[in-house]
Amino acid sequence: MGTKLRGLAVAWVLVLAACGSGTSGGTGSSGSYQGKTINLGAILSLTGAGGVYGPSSKKGADLAVEIINNSGGVSGAKLALDTEDDASDKAQSAQVAQRLIQQGQLLALLGPTLSNSAVAVHPLAESFKIPIVAVSTTGIHIVPDCNFPKTDPCKYVFRDSLGEEAAIPANIKVYSQKTHPKTGVLLVANDDKFSSDGGKIVQATVGQYGIQLLDTVQFSKTTADFATPVTQAVKKNPDVIFITSLGGIPAKIMIEARKQGFAGQFLGGNGFNTAVVSKQAGADGKGAQSGSGWYINNTFPSNAAFVKAYKDKYGSDPDQFAAQGYTGVLILADAAKRANLTFSNLAGDRTKLRDALESVNIDTPLGRFQFTSSHDVKQTIWIIQMDGAGGFNLVISVSPS
Amino acid sequence: MDFFIQLFTDPVTFYNSHELLLAQIGINAILAISLFVTFYSGQLTLANAGFMAVGAYTTVILNLYTPLPLPLDILAGTALAGAVGFLVGLPVLRLRGIFLAIATIGFVEALRLGVILNVPITGEGQGLKNPSADPLGGILPIIVSLPIIAYIVWRLTKTKLGHAWAAIREDELAASSNGINVPVYKMIAFVIGALLAGYAGALETHINFFVDPTEYSVTRAIQILTFAVAGGTTNVIGPIVGALFLTSLPEIIRQASAYRDVVNGVILILVIIFRPQGIVGGGGFALIRPRWWPASWRRRGRAASAH
Amino acid sequence: MTQQILNAIFIGSIYALFAVGYTLVFGVLDVLNLAHSAVFMLGAVITYSLVALHGFPFILAALVAVIACGFLGLLVEYVALRPLRRRGAPPISALISTIGLALIFVAIVEQATPGTLFSWLWQDGANSVRFPSGAVPNPTYHVAGLTLEGTKIGILVTSVVLMLVLGYVIKYTQVGRALRAVAENRRAATLLGINVDRIFSSTLFVSSALGGLAGLLFGLALSDISPYIGRDQVELKGLAVIVLGGMGSIPGAVLGGYLLGLIEVLAFVRFGSNVEAGVAFAALFLVLVIRPQGLFGARLRERL
Repeated sequence: MGTKLRGLAVAWVLVLAACGSGTSGGTGSSGSYQGKTINLGAILSLTGAGGVYGPSSKKGADLAVEIINNSGGVSGAKLALDTEDDASDKAQSAQVAQRLIQQGQLLALLGPTLSNSAVAVHPLAESFKIPIVAVSTTGIHIVPDCNFPKTDPCKYVFRDSLGEEAAIPANIKVYSQKTHPKTGVLLVANDDKFSSDGGKIVQATVGQYGIQLLDTVQFSKTTADFATPVTQAVKKNPDVIFITSLGGIPAKIMIEARKQGFAGQFLGGNGFNTAVVSKQAGADGKGAQSGSGWYINNTFPSNAAFVKAYKDKYGSDPDQFAAQGYTGVLILADAAKRANLTFSNLAGDRTKLRDALESVNIDTPLGRFQFTSSHDVKQTIWIIQMDGAGGFNLVISVSPS
Repeated sequence: MDFFIQLFTDPVTFYNSHELLLAQIGINAILAISLFVTFYSGQLTLANAGFMAVGAYTTVILNLYTPLPLPLDILAGTALAGAVGFLVGLPVLRLRGIFLAIATIGFVEALRLGVILNVPITGEGQGLKNPSADPLGGILPIIVSLPIIAYIVWRLTKTKLGHAWAAIREDELAASSNGINVPVYKMIAFVIGALLAGYAGALETHINFFVDPTEYSVTRAIQILTFAVAGGTTNVIGPIVGALFLTSLPEIIRQASAYRDVVNGVILILVIIFRPQGIVGGGGFALIRPRWWPASWRRRGRAASAH
Repeated sequence: MTQQILNAIFIGSIYALFAVGYTLVFGVLDVLNLAHSAVFMLGAVITYSLVALHGFPFILAALVAVIACGFLGLLVEYVALRPLRRRGAPPISALISTIGLALIFVAIVEQATPGTLFSWLWQDGANSVRFPSGAVPNPTYHVAGLTLEGTKIGILVTSVVLMLVLGYVIKYTQVGRALRAVAENRRAATLLGINVDRIFSSTLFVSSALGGLAGLLFGLALSDISPYIGRDQVELKGLAVIVLGGMGSIPGAVLGGYLLGLIEVLAFVRFGSNVEAGVAFAALFLVLVIRPQGLFGARLRERL
């Protein structure tokens, strides 16, 4: 208990420092929201295929709420976070979103966990004019064109999660400059937005680095036995196997490929970046490399405190999804602090918060955080490898281009 | 509980904050009615999810690639679903009981995994975005359609057609020997079911921003079946009540939302054991009393812990 | 290609083992037990929890899990089937009540995390896990470019032996004869003095024990144990298998299992995944339409 409190204390000092150091016109003086409550909602996949990621996001976000409230709240106002499970189902995600938006009288939302669900939820948030910060979605057309194929930009949709369009090419670049692989096979789930987006990015990138894609093996995410697709891939004898898929699938593919004698490299995307996948893959996943939005031992000012507070509260290391969930709450808190909320005109407050989000500039575990003009992240990319025991080792960090 | 308190004390706010839920209840009710029509004629089919997919995809594709107005897109989707229903009905309607159910499961999954995932115009695994969806505007056509559909189906069950269906359900052989053209009447029910499911699918895309193959799986089909069976299939009100009850259940029990599937499962078992005719399937408030149940029982709430 | 055929035989034996239990219940009770896939999942989950959380050796854990699954079968019989049968309810009622049980089983596991009511059973929520390395030795051989795994070979042998034993029991023993009599004609069997309820209970027990065994072998060989392995990965495939083999026919289910494994793998190799996913259901549809008694079935009456 003692260490827990100490950890929280260290963390809140840093959070305060972070919130106070915003460069843009913060006018909310401390205490001006005294006695009020800022209600936030989160739509996360706690069960179903996304259940590998959602719980981490929730833990990170809950931790941020606890730390901020213990340190006097947002200019005196308490944060309250209502997290709901969408069971990784698109339709359910939309229904939960509508309930939170209209019934919950919430100021802003976090989520949803999966890109697949974002397709349903983000346009909804946009049409109801409520700010939403994606904390784990990495697919294409998430921000700013959430109404794709319509081209008018979405004004209320933000994300703090590093997109695959940045992470996958960076990872392939780092690996190929080091080891110069010649051939690769892509294993991609074809019935899920996140996975097939990732597959397209791999296909578009490999040529730049002289890697010949020998085959693209598609499979369904409900495949029971991955022996068949893996045999197809392994018999081409590639230097690299690219895997873009989510849930427990990357781990199962690695295990099967090692059994079948594949000795080459696994390269992948955001689907690798959770402790759960690293743990399931175990020794078979050792060395599997991906680009991540966060690394546990990064030296950003507020990261060490975050990691410590997280360990004290939950007894385990945070992962990328926890860091992004935590950051999502920090961002909203900072924007709320500067938005001059009225607490009487909800629609007006939502718009004010949206405007304030565009000028967020704070220290977070992901680094100094600002949204780009398209509401996306521009941040350091951490190229990491699974360590064979449920964690990750850093290969190199790549600065934003 | 908040759900009911608000419903009765502040219905306007309730309506304003539950429009998507109400729209979904309407869609599910139409789907449950589509299943009821075939069920009424003695056929257990789970093909509705597939017909729904046909209606939904047709509507969105026409909307994206042609200048046709939305009502025409919806109409076209409905009509195509009916046509597919006819084609599927030709071979499968010879089957009975569980075999028909399983064959239609085959149809739903083969359509979803074999066709939708392989035809590029459907967006394959990613589905299609429907940027012209209008979550709040979409509710009106649903609320208007539901009573009209329910009325038409209720009238149908009172006509010669309805009597023929009932006769086939009770005893196919006897119906046939009484001069009822069994295959034709079965096909009529099957196609009406397909039309209704296609229509519901088309309407649903207008409140959702997407069509996605995972929405039209056997899971959906079984969900529709549970609406109809839990509500009762003796008249058209049953499926509507079933859809209303089971769709709003997660909202009603939000405190226990993590265990909503447990509650859902318990309710299904309780209804099927103690109230086989469904919630509003006739027989007043009568409950079945299994033989092992003590004669002095009062409250069925205890039934969950039985055995 | 040879490797792919080995893959097919292996996944075929899992399908077969799952489907044998499924079809046994259909043959004897005339109902489709949709809780079977949930029991399959629990077979894997119970074994995992005994090994990983309670330190049992694998063989003992597997044995306990299989027996526990047998008792879950009794639960299915007493809660979801018997009350309906007593009333003479149509088979579709049993479909709904077993769906209800399956929902409950899956939800209990997916909601179990450390500190919750069922944390003794499962702690990983919706996640997928594998047995701790070293819990089960898995010697892997590479012969002539082929990969042969100890566990998979063990599973193949186990499945074949069990299915032969079951076939023998049904064909040549007293119990088997009673079983067939009940399947053929419930009322006549009662008149012959056979305790029909007891036959039903034992059928559910055996069927569910086999389902649980299939589940734990699946989890072992594919390194995949999660609340969804039954529902998402084998339930509908199992249905396709018992239709291919002829509903209620045990040899049919065995052959159907291997056939489906083969069809899927060949479709994957030849046409790619998109076709593979649909092929089981296209086959199911066509078989029912063209040959409802199944590919190997004789008349529907003679099912066991």
